[in-house]
Amino acid sequence: MTDLDPRPSPAAPVPSPRALARRRRQRALGRFARSYAHNRAGMFGLLSLLVIATAALTAPMFIEQSHLSITGAPGQPYEPPSAEYPLGTDNFGRSVLDLIIWGARVSLAVGLLATVVSVTLGTVIGITAGHFGSSGGTGGRIASTVLMRITDWFLVLPTLVLAVALAAVLPGGTGTIVVAIGLTVWPPTARLVRAQTLAVEARPYVERARALGGGHTHVMLWHVLPNVMPVVLAQTTLLVATSIIAESTLAFLGMGDPTTISWGGILEAARTAGAVSAGIWWYMVPPGLAIAVVALSFTLCGRAVESVINPRLRENR
Amino acid sequence: MKSPYPPVGTLSRRSASAAAALLLVGSMSAVPAAADEGGTDTLTVAMSQQVDTFNPFIAQLAVTTNILNHVYDRLVTVDPETNEPAPALAESWEASDDGLTWTFDLRDDVYFSDGEQLTADDVVWTLTTIMENEDAAVASGNYVSAFEEVTAEDDTTVVVDLEQPQATMTALNIPIVPQHVWEPVLEEEGDAFADYDNEDFPVVGSGPFVLAEHDRGQSIRLEANPDHWRGAPGFDELVFRYYTEQDAAVEALRNGEVSLVYELTEAQATSLEDVGDVEVNSADGKRFQAFTINPGAETQDGEEFGDGHPALSDKTLRQAIVMALDNDEIVERGHNGQAVAAGGYIPPRYEDFHWAPEGDEATLDFDPDAANEMLDDAGYETGDDGVRTSPEGDRLELRMHVHSDRPDNVQTGQIMEERLGDIGIEVDNQTVDPGILSDALYDAEYDLIFTGWTVNPDPDYVFSIHTCDGLPTEPGTMQGDAYFCNEEYDELYEAQLEEHEDLDQRAEHVHRMQEILYDEAVVNVLSYPNIMEAYRTDQISDIQLEPADGGNIWGQDGYWAFWSAEPAGEDAQSGAGIPTGVLIGGGVVVLLLVAGGAFFLLRRRATTGDRE
Amino acid sequence: MTATPTATEEPAGSPREDAPAGGGGRVRRVVLYVLGRLTTAVVSLGAVIVAGFFLFRILPGDPVRAMTEGREVSLEQQEELRRQFGLDQPLWAQFLDYASGLLRLDLGVSFQYREPVADLILERLGPTLLLAGTGTLLAALLGLFLGARAGWRPGGRGDRVNTAVALFFWSVPTFWLGLLLIVLLASGRGFFPGLFPTSGMTAPDATGFEAVVSTAHHMVLPVVTMVAVIYAQYLMIMRSSLIDEKGADYLTTARAKGLRDALVRRRHAVPNALLPTVTLVFLNLGQVVSGVILVETVFSWPGLGYLFYSGLHVPDLGLVQGLFVLFAASVILMNLLADLVYPLLDPRVRP
Repeated sequence: MTDLDPRPSPAAPVPSPRALARRRRQRALGRFARSYAHNRAGMFGLLSLLVIATAALTAPMFIEQSHLSITGAPGQPYEPPSAEYPLGTDNFGRSVLDLIIWGARVSLAVGLLATVVSVTLGTVIGITAGHFGSSGGTGGRIASTVLMRITDWFLVLPTLVLAVALAAVLPGGTGTIVVAIGLTVWPPTARLVRAQTLAVEARPYVERARALGGGHTHVMLWHVLPNVMPVVLAQTTLLVATSIIAESTLAFLGMGDPTTISWGGILEAARTAGAVSAGIWWYMVPPGLAIAVVALSFTLCGRAVESVINPRLRENR
Repeated sequence: MKSPYPPVGTLSRRSASAAAALLLVGSMSAVPAAADEGGTDTLTVAMSQQVDTFNPFIAQLAVTTNILNHVYDRLVTVDPETNEPAPALAESWEASDDGLTWTFDLRDDVYFSDGEQLTADDVVWTLTTIMENEDAAVASGNYVSAFEEVTAEDDTTVVVDLEQPQATMTALNIPIVPQHVWEPVLEEEGDAFADYDNEDFPVVGSGPFVLAEHDRGQSIRLEANPDHWRGAPGFDELVFRYYTEQDAAVEALRNGEVSLVYELTEAQATSLEDVGDVEVNSADGKRFQAFTINPGAETQDGEEFGDGHPALSDKTLRQAIVMALDNDEIVERGHNGQAVAAGGYIPPRYEDFHWAPEGDEATLDFDPDAANEMLDDAGYETGDDGVRTSPEGDRLELRMHVHSDRPDNVQTGQIMEERLGDIGIEVDNQTVDPGILSDALYDAEYDLIFTGWTVNPDPDYVFSIHTCDGLPTEPGTMQGDAYFCNEEYDELYEAQLEEHEDLDQRAEHVHRMQEILYDEAVVNVLSYPNIMEAYRTDQISDIQLEPADGGNIWGQDGYWAFWSAEPAGEDAQSGAGIPTGVLIGGGVVVLLLVAGGAFFLLRRRATTGDRE
Repeated sequence: MTATPTATEEPAGSPREDAPAGGGGRVRRVVLYVLGRLTTAVVSLGAVIVAGFFLFRILPGDPVRAMTEGREVSLEQQEELRRQFGLDQPLWAQFLDYASGLLRLDLGVSFQYREPVADLILERLGPTLLLAGTGTLLAALLGLFLGARAGWRPGGRGDRVNTAVALFFWSVPTFWLGLLLIVLLASGRGFFPGLFPTSGMTAPDATGFEAVVSTAHHMVLPVVTMVAVIYAQYLMIMRSSLIDEKGADYLTTARAKGLRDALVRRRHAVPNALLPTVTLVFLNLGQVVSGVILVETVFSWPGLGYLFYSGLHVPDLGLVQGLFVLFAASVILMNLLADLVYPLLDPRVRP
C-alpha cells in the first residue's frame, strides 16, 4: 500500500533514483511490519480479520447457495442451536451460521467500499486544501479556505441524520448504502490529511522539488501523497469499523435493502420477526457480536498502525 | 377462540402459577396496569402508532379512528355474533324501494358527556357539515359522496336522500358529534379548522368512553362513561401507552405493565403462548395480502401511460405467474403459518361474501410445470440464461414493488422472486417505503406491485375500486390499486349495489365478481394474514371478540371489546406504594449521580486547593 | 454512528489557524475573532437550512399518498390534505414560505401530528436534554476518569484492560446493545427479570416525588446504553492527551520536588490534559445526537430522536427538516461556544 509507483519499473542495472526510492520504501515497509508485529492488540485484530475474511471469501465453497434461499431452506423455523445448525435457524429455517458467514461478504464489502469512497474523497480534498493553502498564492488560499469551510460544514451535520436522508433520497440498494455512508464520514479524514499535508509541505525536500520546477500535480502526487499515505492507512482501518456499524444502523432504521443478506439486514430481520421478545437469542446475538468483533478488529489494527507511524505513541506503549 | 384458561390442571400447579403471577405483578412490574391503590380499574393497551389528531372530521390514521370510535357513537354498528348491521344510535332504519331514501329512527336516551341530549339535529349537523365543508370532509367524505340532503323529521328521526344507491348506508363509519360544541368551533376556526386538534379535555362525546388526557408520545387516557346508554364499561379507565419497539411492548405485557398488545408477529405470539396469565388471540384476518399485475395502464378515455412491461397485457402470462406461486408456501414461510391461503378476494371471516375457487374453477392452482407449458405454447422462449423472452422479443424481467414496512410482504416478495425464477421470469425485487410504492402505482411505473386492504363487513369499497370508473381520469389520479376494467364485472357491481335487501342475491353477484377477478389475474390475492394479539388474563377476565367466533380485539368495527372487558379479580391487585423494581433502579441512578457529582466536586476542590 | 476515537484527530475549527494575523490592538483582534466566528456560524446555519429544505423535498414518495395508503380515501380527500399541507404550491413558493416562517421561529407544520413543528420540538426538548445531558455527563466523567488512569501508565495491565473494554463497547451497534439490555434486564426472562421498565419516561400515574423516581428508573437502561457506547471517545482523548502531557517539563519539576506520583497525576497532569478534552466534549455533540436517535427509538423515550424516527417513513417533511435544522444548529452553536470558550481556558491560543 505504501508503494505507490504507478509505472512499471524499468529493469536498470544501475540503481536509478526511482529504484533507490523503491528499495527505501521496501525497507520502510519491512520496518513497519516488524514493529507492527510487536503490537499484540494489532496482531489480534489482524488475525481475526484474516480468519473472517477467509471465511467470507471461501463461503461459496462450503455453503450451499440454495440453502440460503427461502424456498430451499434446509431446516425448520427457529430451531435452537444443534450439531447440525451450530447457531440454530432463522424464521425460514436457514442456518444462522451460514447467514452470518454469507452476510460477512456484504457487510465487509459495504464497509470497505464506503471507506474507499470516503477516504478517497477525504484525501483528495485534504491534499488539495493543504497544498494550495500553503503554496498556491492568493487564489490557492481562497480555494483552500473554501474547501475547508465545506469540510467544516459537513462536520457540523449530524452524521446519522445525513446518512439517513441520503439513503432515503437515493434509489434503494446496497450501492446507495455505500454512497450514503461514504459521503457522510469523509470530513475527519480531510482535516487529518490537510494537517499532514501542511507538515509535509514545510519540509525542505518539497521546497527543493518546487524550486526544481515541479508543478502542483507533481508535488502532490509524488511528494505529498506518499507521505500522507501512512496516516490515511490508519484512518482507513478505523473508518471501516465506523462504516460497518453504520451499515447495521441504517438497516435498523429501515434504510437497508431487506433482500440482501448482511449483518445489519439479519439483525433487522430478527428484530421485525420479533426474535427479541420471543427469546430467540441465537438469531439476535450472533450478528451483533459479529459486527462488534469486526469493528473492534479494524479499530485495533488502525490503532496499531497509528502507533507504529507515530513514534511518540509507540514509545509509550 | 381458545379458552382463556388452561384446560385442567392439578390444584398445586394452578396455585403455583397463581403465586408466580402474584409475585410477577406484585413485586416486579414497574407500573401496575390493572389497578392502583385508589381502586381504579385500568385497562392498558400498548400501541406503536402516533395519533394524528383527535378532530373526528380530520383524523386519518387507523389508531386515531379506532380510539375515536370509543368516544363518539355512530348510527349503526356491527353485531359481533352475526357480523350484520346492528342498532347503535339508530334503533332501526328503513330504505325506500328504490334505495334512495333512508330513514333512521334514533334512540331517545342518548346523552353527551356534558349532559346534553343527542338528537336528530346533531346527526343532521354532523352529516351536513361533512357534505358541505371541504375541510371537514377529510376523514369521512367518502361516505357522503352520494348524499343529496339530510333532514331531521323530528327529534329522533333522520332522513337521508341519496342521489344514487349507496351500499354503505348501514355501515356509515361516521362519528356523530355534538352540534352545540362543534358549531362554535367550526365558526371560530374557519379556514384553520383542519388544524383544530380537539384536545379540550375532557372531550364531549356520547361514546362509552370519554377522552380525558393526551400526553403526546407517552399515553392517551380515556375514562369510562358510566351513563352510557348501552351500560357502563367494565373498566374505569382505558390507557394507551406508546412503545416504538414492538418487542418492548411485548416485554411490557410479560411483566404486567400493559394488559393488551396487538399486531404481534408470529414469533412473539408463539413465545407468549407459554407465558402464564397471558392469552394469545389469533383472529381471522380482515385484510387480504395481494399483488396486482400492470396489464397496461389506461385512463378512462383510453389514454395509455406508464411503463409497465408490454407482455403483461397477455392474460396467459398473468395466469402463468399466478400458477407459479404456491399460496400455501407463502402462508407457511412468508407468514410463518399465521395466515390463511387465499383464493378469492374477500376473507373467509365474511362467510357470506367469501368465495374460493373449487374443483373445476381452480384453474390457477400452484402448478409450475403447467405454467411453463403454457408459456412454451404461447411462444415465450427460454434464453440461455434461463430467462424467457416474449413473442414480441421483450425479455421477461419484471420489477416487483414490495412494502418495506410489512415484514410479511418482504418475506412473501422474496419467495415470489425465487418461485417466478422457476418459470423463467427474472424479478427485480424493489422493497421500498409505502410512499415510493404509491408513486410507482399512480404513475403506472411498475410491473408487479403489492397491495392489501382491510375489508369492512360491507365489502362495497374494495369492489368499487376495480370498476372501470376506478380508472384514473388522467394519469396519476388513480383511485384503486390496479388498472382493471371489465364490462361484465361492472354490470355485476351495479347489480349487487341495488340488492341492498336480498343478501343471498347480492352475495351471488359478489361471488361472480371475485371469479372474474381471479380469472383475469390482474388482482391476485395471496393470503389473509391472521390478526395476533395477546392480553393478560390476570388483568382482563372477559372480553368480547368481533366476530364472536375467531374475531379480534383491537380494530373492531364496533367498540365491543373495551366496552365489554371486565377487570380480573382481586388477586391481580398490586401492593400500594412504589414497586421494588422502581426503588432499586431509582436507587442505582441516584447513587451513580451522587457518586459522580461527589467525585467531580472533590476533584475540583483538590485541584484548586493544590494550585495555590 | 460514532466518530472514530482516534488520538490524532485535531479538534475541528481549532482557533490557532484562523486567528487574524497581527495588526491592531488586542481588543480589535478579539472583536474580529469573535465576529469571524459568528459569521461562520451564521453562514453554516443558512447553508443547513437551504440544504435541509431541498434534501428532504427530493425524498421520493408523496406524503399524502403514503399517509392514506390502504384506506378508503377519495381523490377529493387527498387533494384537500395536499392543500392543507401546502404541497400544491410550487417548490420555490414552499421554500419562501418556509424561510419567512423560520424568521418568526415558525418551523412549519408536521403532517402526521398536525401541530406546529416548533411546538412538537419544544415538547420533546426536555426529555432529550435530560437523557443526552445525563448520558454525556456520565460518559465524559467515566471516560475521563478511566482515561486518566489508563494514560498515566500506558501499556500496563490496567491500561490494556480498560482500553480493550472501552473499544469493545465502542464497536457494538448502539441499538443492538439497547435491545439486549431490554431482554436481560427488563423482560420477564433474563437474569434480573423486570428490574427496569422497557420503555417510556415516567409511569403515567406517577406524581411529584414519585414521578422523579419513576423517571430516574426509566432512565437507567437508556443512559447505560448511551454511556457504554460513547465513553470510549472520552477515554481515548484523555488517555492520549495525558500521554502527551506526561513528558512536559513541569511534571519533572513536580516530581523533583518530591511529590508523590498519584499527586503529580491528580494535581498537575490531569488538569492540564483536561483542556483539549473539554473542547471535545462540546464538539462530540454531533455524535451524541446520532446516539440519542437510536437510544430513544429503542427505549421509546419521548424525545427528539424518537420524533425524528417517527417522521422518517411517512415522510413527514416539515417535522424531519425542522429536526435536521435543529440538530445541525445545536452542533453549530456548540462549535461556536467551543471556539469562544477555548481561548479563555487556554492562554496559549488567545488571539
